[in-house]
Amino acid sequence: MNGEVFNANPTIYTKSKRSLRKSPFETGQSLWVDDIEQQDWSDTSDAEPIDQDEVFDLIRSIADPEHPNSLEELRVVSPEQIDIGSNVITVEFTPTVPHCGMSTLIGLSIRVRLMRCLPPRFKVDIRVKPGSHQSELAVNKQLNDKERVAAALENQALVETLEKCLATAGSQE
Amino acid sequence: MEGLERHVRSWFASEKPAEIEHVISALSSGECTLLDIVKTLGEYLTSEEDILRTKGVQFLSLVIEGCPKEKLNRQAVHVLVTFYRTKLDDTETITPALKGLSHLVRSPALGSSDIPDLFNAMFTHVKMRVLVQSTRFFVFDTIDTLLKTHPDDLKAMGDQFVAGYAALASGEKDPRNLTVAFAIARVILTEFDISKHVEDYFDITFCYFPITFRPPPNDPYGISADDLKSSLFFWVVLKLGFGIFQPVDAAIEEAALDTLQAFVRVLQSNPVVADEGRADDMDDFVRTVCVDCLDAFGEPEKPQARAGMKILCSFLSIAQNLSSYAIAQAAEKLVTIFHDPMEVSNRASVIVLLTDLLNSLAPPENLPTPDKPVVTTSGSIPSSQDLLTSSKDAVLGLLIVGLKTPSTRVPSLHGLAALIRVPSAVTKDELGYIVLEVGEFVGKEPNDAEDTTSDVLSLLSSIAVVAPQHVATQVLPPLFLALPDRPPPRDAHPQRAAYWHALSALSQLCTQPELFETFVIRLTTKLDLLCSPLPSASTNPPPADILDAEEMEPAAAYAHAILTALGNTLSAKVSKSRPDADVPKYINTLLPRLFRLCLEAAVSKEQQVFADMRLLRVVARIIGLVVEASPTASQSNFFGDLVSAYLDGKAGTSTRQRNTVVLYAAAHVPMRRDVYQISLSRRLADLVTWCSSDSCTASQREAASHILASLVNKRADDIGDFLKYQLDDYWSKVVYNHTVSASDRRNAVALWVSIARALLVRSHPSAMAFTDKLFILIDEGDEVGREAAHALGTLAIKDEVLAKRNHAILKVLYAQRYLDVVLPRILEAVQNVTGSRREAAYLVALASVLNAVPKTLYLPQMTKLMPLLIRGLNLDDPTLRVDIINILTDTVDAASDEKSSLTSYASTLVLEMLKNSMVTDMPDPRVRSGALKYLALLPGVIRYDVLHPYKAQVLKELGKVLDDPRRAVRKEAVDARYKYTG
Repeated sequence: MNGEVFNANPTIYTKSKRSLRKSPFETGQSLWVDDIEQQDWSDTSDAEPIDQDEVFDLIRSIADPEHPNSLEELRVVSPEQIDIGSNVITVEFTPTVPHCGMSTLIGLSIRVRLMRCLPPRFKVDIRVKPGSHQSELAVNKQLNDKERVAAALENQALVETLEKCLATAGSQE
Repeated sequence: MEGLERHVRSWFASEKPAEIEHVISALSSGECTLLDIVKTLGEYLTSEEDILRTKGVQFLSLVIEGCPKEKLNRQAVHVLVTFYRTKLDDTETITPALKGLSHLVRSPALGSSDIPDLFNAMFTHVKMRVLVQSTRFFVFDTIDTLLKTHPDDLKAMGDQFVAGYAALASGEKDPRNLTVAFAIARVILTEFDISKHVEDYFDITFCYFPITFRPPPNDPYGISADDLKSSLFFWVVLKLGFGIFQPVDAAIEEAALDTLQAFVRVLQSNPVVADEGRADDMDDFVRTVCVDCLDAFGEPEKPQARAGMKILCSFLSIAQNLSSYAIAQAAEKLVTIFHDPMEVSNRASVIVLLTDLLNSLAPPENLPTPDKPVVTTSGSIPSSQDLLTSSKDAVLGLLIVGLKTPSTRVPSLHGLAALIRVPSAVTKDELGYIVLEVGEFVGKEPNDAEDTTSDVLSLLSSIAVVAPQHVATQVLPPLFLALPDRPPPRDAHPQRAAYWHALSALSQLCTQPELFETFVIRLTTKLDLLCSPLPSASTNPPPADILDAEEMEPAAAYAHAILTALGNTLSAKVSKSRPDADVPKYINTLLPRLFRLCLEAAVSKEQQVFADMRLLRVVARIIGLVVEASPTASQSNFFGDLVSAYLDGKAGTSTRQRNTVVLYAAAHVPMRRDVYQISLSRRLADLVTWCSSDSCTASQREAASHILASLVNKRADDIGDFLKYQLDDYWSKVVYNHTVSASDRRNAVALWVSIARALLVRSHPSAMAFTDKLFILIDEGDEVGREAAHALGTLAIKDEVLAKRNHAILKVLYAQRYLDVVLPRILEAVQNVTGSRREAAYLVALASVLNAVPKTLYLPQMTKLMPLLIRGLNLDDPTLRVDIINILTDTVDAASDEKSSLTSYASTLVLEMLKNSMVTDMPDPRVRSGALKYLALLPGVIRYDVLHPYKAQVLKELGKVLDDPRRAVRKEAVDARYKYTG
């Protein structure tokens, strides 16, 4: 926000396909090639628990504060870095450079997005990938301290920046 | 006169257009003359007060604007022009005066003698810089008109006009004026002698390049950048005629290249430039440009290089000799860069540039027959292959090298695809070489070459069209080898993935007739092998029985994959705009074979691979595709055999034998209308009876209904007996017989509907008789009535069976006619019925009918329908709710036009939708998902202050929906919640 760009020239990766879900044939669950998972609306008993891919779908399209790219394109987040317990979700993210001053903002935007989109029963832990940031501990502490998160969300200027990052979240492109 | 004065006075006070109209009508009818008007205006026109003077001139101009042309005689025009001329030096009157002039010059009575004076005054007094856009427009408009009507007078003025106009036009910025100004300049440059003022004209035109104008949003004038560019033809003439082209400024090189492209496009659209006299200038120009473009290729990764390539390519058709030389140069240069070790990182861009170049040499995609010499494309590129002869080997080698590294692989594939499209550029042997090199990637595991598979396959299949033997000998054998004879066991997923990979590659490659024949033969052999008894079973019989059932599913799945691949290829061949001619012959070879496999399996005592329903379905798809492509004669033969096999043979009663009706139905759906069939009425009646058997499954019944629909639709006039039987006997004995069980009656209604629909789409007179009976059922209001109510909607839905490609008879607007009959009846009934069950049935009917027809048909009645739809939301039927929510969603945009109607229901709608989105209240996920979608739409169409009171509640309730068991519902909840947070 002080005008300094921490990583002026990030590597941009291609986005993966919109849906990471494979058909049962591809995963080896079914023998039949066209056994695509049809949305079987009639079966009301079938529950689909929230999984890694779904959480990833929620955060992949958040915009990076510095660049016109999504977190997915910069490989800041990936499905493998999401871990789901019964009521606990741990999201790990990788800042593009170790001195990235935007890490807390990225973490905060992930937290706010998940706060809005996940059922309240989940406890969400957000961490930077171990060894990927010079002040890893400080960032982790800041992101998981609910008082400090609440305080940050009182800050009007911060919220505005945050909303800018989140505006693209959920877009289909 | 008094009337005139009154009108003038009241106009000065009110400026109402009506007063002007009165004056004009008086003028037209001869009640007063122009002279009278000028006299009346006298005091105003010469008034000392600025405002009065302005208004006076304005009044006059407005009258002239509306005045009929014949009232303006030569004398009057002369006087008026002179008058306006004197008003041009007055800053207060210049605007209305110019406006008056712009209308006045359109008069045919304008004399030549007036023009020099008029322009003198204009050039002296009009200072464009101080005038607003609309006023400047009058100036351009006047000149434009005069250029059209009095070109000779203007030419006679000579330099005075040419110089004067250049001064006027200089500095113009508004695009609306520029379009006129460019048009004027174009005429001046082509028809006037501007030799003394070339520099001026260069200045007033060149400064607009490049045109980067973007129309503002909601631009009322609808001017696009292309409009501007196309009026710039004059610029080209300017450049060519006077040879003052300067090499483009390096600083604006990129933008200038864009300009050049515009220029080339104009060149292509205007044959005038082919004029002999200018040929030399043109060559000069083209040479300069080509040199520039070649320079740009020095840095192939920059966007300029691609722009340069585009220009070069577009020159190809207008200035062959030079640009073909340049293209050869370009190719050489790019090859050199490619092999330069310092430029390795730019190899991909080099290949992309070469691909552009090759594409420009190839004939356009839409022209078929790449194997014939393309002389018809115009004589412009007859020697395109010659252009490449010098560098072709180098280019081909380069592209093959490009294949080796992953980063350049995809561009190289595209390049090769372009190269083979260049007429006679590649010899057959070279094609073989390409196939050999590219073929390597076909068998690769999809993981490491994921992105290339589709490109590789499309390249190879386009080669297959020209040179099938190369593909047949080099690519297909390994793929066929990858197909095992015996199905992989249940747990061998990698093998299954491998055979499917090979099958899908084969299915894409083998559309060419020769290859397709091989493909069919190889695959049917595999199918035969699958059906033969297991070799292990014969050696050690005891475990075979146990293994058999276990082994059966993988075998069936493998057969299914093979047939799916076959079906996909057939579908590609048949769905082309001109279906391949080789498909019909398979009606005599492939289809009997498949029928035999399936029917043998059906009558066999043991469990058989081909008895699986999923296999039958995919076989049915293949049958449908082949029959669809076949002509009437072979269809007739085929049906003769088929009917005798099915009807005259032993009527099968086991479920497996009954299942094969799917195949029978698939053949009937695409049947042509004129295929002869004996005693149809009796057969149809038999079929209906067959369906009422207790052992009839849902899929058998569906297949039977397809046969019914198809035959009834195509042969409605021959089956009067059957229709009569249905309406009388069947109706009273089954459909409307309360002693028959409800489930049987519902099945009967389904059959009834497929018959009714077949008649309805062709607007057959009996259709209404069938529909009327449904109303009788709905009136009952019971379970069957509900079914009939849903059926009313089904009647209007488009389906796959009764489609054009299946040779069905379809009349236009049948849905509209249907709705016109049915909707008033339903509405009347809903208002009259009292019994809640009957009311519910009619609401179901309403929702399903509305959901089936296009929304434009019922939008005008939406205010009347809205309360009914909301009433329907409270009923328990989930299908009904889905229908209603769909209708509401469809009409939400239209409803927002008359916002009031939706706004008044806002509170009900929000609360209902919230209730419908809770998993605890609504077990059906379709309703939940639909309700959430609709909820998300509301903030866009309903005013914020109306929705605001519900915001907190919606957010809170949707928080619960975030924990819905279904993934799709959760996703909708996230979206809906986002809409309400903003």
